[in-house]
Amino acid sequence: MDQEFQIEERAGTAPPVIVVSGEIDVATAPQLRECLHRVIAQGEATIVLDLLGVTFLDSTALGVLVGALKRCREAGGDLHLVVADPRIVKIFEITGLTNVFTIADSLQAAGPS
Amino acid sequence: MTDPTDTLVNGDRIELRFPARGDLIVLARLVTSAISARAGFDIEELEDLRLAVGELCLLALHGSDALHGDLCLELTVLGDAIVVVCTLERAAAADVTGPEGDEIALLSEQILDALVDEHGRESRDGSVRAWLRKRRGGHAE
Repeated sequence: MDQEFQIEERAGTAPPVIVVSGEIDVATAPQLRECLHRVIAQGEATIVLDLLGVTFLDSTALGVLVGALKRCREAGGDLHLVVADPRIVKIFEITGLTNVFTIADSLQAAGPS
Repeated sequence: MTDPTDTLVNGDRIELRFPARGDLIVLARLVTSAISARAGFDIEELEDLRLAVGELCLLALHGSDALHGDLCLELTVLGDAIVVVCTLERAAAADVTGPEGDEIALLSEQILDALVDEHGRESRDGSVRAWLRKRRGGHAE
């Protein structure tokens, strides 16, 4: 069976880190949208989204990420993604979103302190 | 030696019908993985098909009511290819994909363009039909 979807907000880093694992699809993407919008509404313009534990991602997930990126940039910040799984990277590549997002292959490279 | 009962051959067809809800699309992806493996697709092609069929279901659901209608998935082995048809029946107007609906439909089209050999979508007589065709070892990005 598919890995359970989970979101964890890590406290004490700047910028804040949100860790997501499992499958992000039409059923789970709304939870991710709610979490990202809430963190941005709390005044965080830049967010690191750790997707290292994500096993599947579809167009609804991409739509949520693009929407959150727009909000971050409107607030003067950015949405940094951490992705290492080649299957997940491929989805960003074929949709041209590697040119839109800042994507790192490790949390260290994404730069939270 | 391959057990002939574990494989699917030319003309074999599998149907799956479920309520047209986004949270049940995972069923379509699971069935697609199992069928693709039995039809001889390799692991990478199988992953491509799993993602593509999820997008096919999303395209069928785009602009529809999540609380009404059924999604019917037909997977047919035709030679060295698999043809998947996803039909949304008895649907009403609404949207299951949220505020980014149109943007998501464009992303779905891009993903299908990259992963399968052919795909399409049409509406007729109150039904929405989205389909794809992918050959074994036949698609280069």
